[in-house]
Amino acid sequence: MKMFASFTMLTIMILIYPIVMTLSSNYNIFNFPKHVKTTIKSAFLFSLIPTFMFIDKGYEAIITTWHWTIFQTLDISISLKMDFFSMMFVPVALFVTWSIMEFSMWYMHSDPNVDRFFKYLLLFLITMIILVTANNLFQLFIGWEGVGIMSFLLIGWWYGRPDANTAALQAILYNRIGDIGFVLSMAWFLTNSNSWELQQLFITDHNNLIPLLGLTLAATGKSAQFGLHPWLPSAMEGPTPVSTLLHSSTMVVAGIFLLIRFYPMLENNQTILTTIMCLGAITTLFTAICALTQNDIKKIIAFSTSSQLGLMMVTIGINQPHLAFLHICTHAFFKAMLFMCSGSIIHNLNDEQDIRKMGGLFKTLPFTSSALTIGSLALTGTPFLTGFYSKDLIIESANTSYTNAWALLITLIATSLTATYSTRIIFFALMGQPRFSPLSPINENNPLLNNAIKRLLIGSIFAGFIITNNMDPMNIQQMTMPWYLKLAALMVTVSGFMIAMELNNLTYFLKIKSTSQQMKFSNLLGYFPSTIHRLIPNTNLMTSHKSASKLMDLIWLEKSTPKLLALLQLMMSTLTSNQSGLIKVYFMTFLLSMLISLPFLI
Amino acid sequence: MGAHLVRRYLGDASVEPDPLRMPTFPPEYGFPERKERAMVATPQEMNDAQLPLRQRDYCAHYLIRLLKCRRDSFPNFLACKQERHDWDYCEHLDYVMRMKEFERERRLLQRKKRREERAARAARGQGPGEVAPEVAL
Repeated sequence: MKMFASFTMLTIMILIYPIVMTLSSNYNIFNFPKHVKTTIKSAFLFSLIPTFMFIDKGYEAIITTWHWTIFQTLDISISLKMDFFSMMFVPVALFVTWSIMEFSMWYMHSDPNVDRFFKYLLLFLITMIILVTANNLFQLFIGWEGVGIMSFLLIGWWYGRPDANTAALQAILYNRIGDIGFVLSMAWFLTNSNSWELQQLFITDHNNLIPLLGLTLAATGKSAQFGLHPWLPSAMEGPTPVSTLLHSSTMVVAGIFLLIRFYPMLENNQTILTTIMCLGAITTLFTAICALTQNDIKKIIAFSTSSQLGLMMVTIGINQPHLAFLHICTHAFFKAMLFMCSGSIIHNLNDEQDIRKMGGLFKTLPFTSSALTIGSLALTGTPFLTGFYSKDLIIESANTSYTNAWALLITLIATSLTATYSTRIIFFALMGQPRFSPLSPINENNPLLNNAIKRLLIGSIFAGFIITNNMDPMNIQQMTMPWYLKLAALMVTVSGFMIAMELNNLTYFLKIKSTSQQMKFSNLLGYFPSTIHRLIPNTNLMTSHKSASKLMDLIWLEKSTPKLLALLQLMMSTLTSNQSGLIKVYFMTFLLSMLISLPFLI
Repeated sequence: MGAHLVRRYLGDASVEPDPLRMPTFPPEYGFPERKERAMVATPQEMNDAQLPLRQRDYCAHYLIRLLKCRRDSFPNFLACKQERHDWDYCEHLDYVMRMKEFERERRLLQRKKRREERAARAARGQGPGEVAPEVAL
């Protein structure tokens, strides 16, 4: 028992140590990136021990350490909840981060501030672990904001680039809107349950929609659901390791993780479950449609992430939080690997990100292309690779549950589109003849790159099998269904593959014609950024401009009092005066009356 | 999957059972020796195994056996195939029973509707095989 708590605290302390020591002056690490990588590797190995204790004995714990403050009846302390979710997520996150650190040592080696980069990544990892292991909402919020801030700093890493600054600001703003929901839920829980501890919240039977809607809004912001999604593709302005760590495996799943943490409250409220499911269904279809016509390889993978996040929301909506969590863990492996392969391709083609300028990389980058292919197969749910164990189970559960048929249909269509855009990446980037400059020095002989991708490759193939077989059954899985339901996911995926290959082969014989409406819709991301990013600021600025100049200056200060009074006075005086201003007539009148009265006076 | 939904919306909705209001007929109707189904796992056993509420059903005893086998055979995570199959098979039989109950409900509703129509025809004075007076020549 003491081992459990000790190794948990050791894992976290190991990660904090490099950050804290950078504040002191005699911390002279020659190769700070390698030091950080070794730190994370050892943290991963140490975190496996509590996880194995959990798998073996079902050992869970709540570790409450430092008591921070008391506000009358509210008690806030640092408490770590080591239960199924945090125990399984922490090793997965550390393993993926270890590979990403190794990859960044190769990718960012020519960057002058590479030490600061690794420090930011490590700080992000620490805040993510704080979020995942939090037992009260306050600590969760600290982690929540922390990952948001680190996302801002890392997306805007190349701050000289205005696109990167815009993208970083976009991430902050959209996440802020989600934070409104989070704070609303916190306030509601504080006033209605007088506590922020998860245990105390789940005991009371609330059955109120307000906090759950707040949490859904928070998840919408952080996990890029429809309505608050544009920040995720824009976040690809950051370096590829940032996209790999934050925007595929760890940060964007924080919103889903929050909803999974609150599943005891969600499962009693059918309204919120339906809301979550429909939101997830819209997200997964919309982002899959947007991914079909993008030309930047990182943006396609970003939309793929968004689509999978929508699928996780759908899973929560059919009341299967453990399946959603399994999908989080398996998705981390193959999505991180896809991003790393795209980073390898980009760097080798001299920072070329447009897939229309790639091609023929099967022969020149054999290892990267194999990894990309296997990652795409895992993503689409090929039987017995990693993605199959989570994705196929999700589709099966959705098929056999008493649920919204429209959302189910949408999810199936999005599953086939997943296969379609994956085939598109493989076709344009790897197959055919090269469309890039022949003088690019292409090589994959750096062990940092190869070992990192190899580790995630083994994870993409085996992790689903290993994790599923080590999980105790949390939910009664519906195993009996007709054959067409059982094979539904596989059939739509295969049909997506075939349609995509057919269309891709047709591109060899195309004539140029003007783009169709559907192409414009998909390429411009459904016109969502173009409208929302212009409409809202435009409305705000026009309102403030009009209110300042017209309302305040012109009407209130000029027209309403001074000029109005002057006008009224003028009007009244002309109406009521008998004066006609005719001086000669006045003089004549005067003279006449004088002449008439003069004889009487004399 | 959707046959019951299709039948409910496109077919005759009055003879399709509503899953949220089942069963309508008493369970012993037509089965004079039917006993109430008993759970094999006791509440004390389920509490000791710390099963969540959703998993405390009629197959919980197989699940408890499976959990015990998994705990005993760590780190061999490929070990408990037989126990897993037993639990899955019990859940499958449970599913088949639920489907049979649904089908029984559906046929009883159809029979009820047929009997009501026959009674309505007899009340109108129309014997079997005859037509209503307004249709006859």
